[in-house]
Amino acid sequence: MNLWHIAWNYLWNRKLTTSLTIVSVALGVALIYAVLTLYDETKKRFTEEGQAYDMVVGGKDGSPLQLVLSAVYFMDKPTGNIHYADYEWLRNHEDVAEAYPVMLGDTYRGFRIVGTVPEFFDQTWISSAARGTMRKPFKVGRGRCFERSMEAVLGSLVAEQTGRKVGDTFVGTHGFIEGLGHKHHEFPYTVVGILEPSSSPMDRVVFCDLTSVWEIHADHDHAEDEASKTEHHGNEENGHGGDNHIAESNQDETSDHEGEQDEDEDLEVTAVLVRLKMPGARFGFKDEANTELNAMTAIPAQEVAKLYRQFLAPLQTVLLAVGFLVVVISGLSIMIGLYLSIIQRKRDMAIMRALGASAYEILGSVLIEAFWVTLLGIGAGYLIGCGVSECIGLALTKRYGLTIGVVAVNVKELTAFSAIALVGIVAGIVPAWQAYRTDVARDLAEL
Amino acid sequence: MVRIKECRRQLGPGVRFRCQDFWAAAGTQTALWGPSGCGKTTMLNLITGLLRPDEGVIEVDGIEIQNLSEGKRDRFRGERFGFVFQTFNLLAPFTALQNVLLGMRFSDTVAESEWKAHATHLLERVGLKHRLHSKPATMSVGERQRVAIARALANNQKVVVADEPTGSLDPKTSEAVMDLLLELCDEEKVTLLLVTHEREIADRLEQRFDCSGLIEEAAP
Repeated sequence: MNLWHIAWNYLWNRKLTTSLTIVSVALGVALIYAVLTLYDETKKRFTEEGQAYDMVVGGKDGSPLQLVLSAVYFMDKPTGNIHYADYEWLRNHEDVAEAYPVMLGDTYRGFRIVGTVPEFFDQTWISSAARGTMRKPFKVGRGRCFERSMEAVLGSLVAEQTGRKVGDTFVGTHGFIEGLGHKHHEFPYTVVGILEPSSSPMDRVVFCDLTSVWEIHADHDHAEDEASKTEHHGNEENGHGGDNHIAESNQDETSDHEGEQDEDEDLEVTAVLVRLKMPGARFGFKDEANTELNAMTAIPAQEVAKLYRQFLAPLQTVLLAVGFLVVVISGLSIMIGLYLSIIQRKRDMAIMRALGASAYEILGSVLIEAFWVTLLGIGAGYLIGCGVSECIGLALTKRYGLTIGVVAVNVKELTAFSAIALVGIVAGIVPAWQAYRTDVARDLAEL
Repeated sequence: MVRIKECRRQLGPGVRFRCQDFWAAAGTQTALWGPSGCGKTTMLNLITGLLRPDEGVIEVDGIEIQNLSEGKRDRFRGERFGFVFQTFNLLAPFTALQNVLLGMRFSDTVAESEWKAHATHLLERVGLKHRLHSKPATMSVGERQRVAIARALANNQKVVVADEPTGSLDPKTSEAVMDLLLELCDEEKVTLLLVTHEREIADRLEQRFDCSGLIEEAAP
């Protein structure tokens, strides 16, 4: 029987009020925890992919952020295409260590089909989990990498959600909106490999050789050209509408109208992911690329930082402010609840003083009550926050392939929890002081 | 054992407590007797250190308590005095056993390792072996007062102060509680100071102190 036990018994004695106060603290804590966790975890994931490439080069029909989101994270609409020759220029540049082309245009059951080169899977990234270490994000878990046209390697989530196995075949749908584009039935893909989970948007991607996309779209473009002669491009708002796929890119239209050209010059890629030998030289290289190429360049790390600084950081601040406001209101409810309880328990306080409890022990027991409520609120809030973050995390995984860890508590969250605990204890001071000032003789006499 | 000498305490404008001399030897049982409002409870509060005199000496077990700091008086009270109140004053959230344990919590008289055994023994002694884990709200008034008596003896106190201990009880229960209180105080050689306005109860104790006139009111 110590002060903690005494405080606990008093809280238990008014279960309903205590529970409601704990719930109100918990809601504030959950909001704060979820906001901090989701912000930090998504940033970590975004940063890892962002740091993987020093530069992205792509079409000019959009913003640099859109280019990064579409080519690195496969989230947004592509910004048009660039000539294959631009990719070759980048690949052969003396400052470039690695250059990976990506070609977008089709989807399979909502998952993007990305044409690239087999070397794409040999990349190593700086790990966000263990800072400074390198990790190989792409490992073919089952099967093998694609070696020829119309072979596909599925990201882990694609395989999981579509149920496709090595050896299965499937056909892609033109455009990025599921159900609107026409299916390329004449060009079935064969699954030759499935990637291990990489906790990145790549898990939601179907990879194939560049030539596969070119083959399909050369045929598709031809068909479209024939159709356009009679329909005068009257069908742009169908499955292709709004999608910056090969056949609709500005460059392609230009080349179509120029008549006969060399076949290689017609080849295009959506973007090129570039890693430089000296990452510090990226700003100089960016200027050079902008001059030499008819393309847009973007530095992923810069764009991601901008995205967080300009859009997500203010949102985080607002949500954190709401969370802390809830906590402060909860603090007030702790104070009011305890204060009313102390008024009802004046006689109990006096009895304890008569039994030999010092005024400080009485003060301590009330502060402990406030602490208990806050502690339980933080505990419950943490669990609720984990649950909410887990749910949002699952949604993010399903939609963007971002896998986030929600259980670990970092310094920021510990600081927030400590601040909340402080609010709770401060809320206990007024009622504790009231209890401290108990007039024992008077309160014992009052019936 | 308990002595008051030339003690004064202002209680309000024109109202004053004054006790010239009081003495209760160790192990004796004294009734502080008198009509309502005569100053009996004030006298108990002064003896137990719940009130501090403006003047005079209050000596308990050889220690003049009027000069002790508030903290020391709290500790002294917890170790030396046991309380039995008219309205029992058990703490509602706690069981009978916990209420008795609470009596030991604020003093070092009984070793912590022995608290539970000691409290259980006391409750058995007052006939509540079967009610150890009952909360006050589920007990009869007689049972509650017996828990209060057990709590009052929890620290092997030297003095038990009982303020109208039978005031809320029916005559039959009152008789039983008084029997138990007197018997236990006699057994434990505890000094008993019992406040009552009932002459019959006062007569059961070995000495009586008439409290009439302890409160002085100035003429308006």
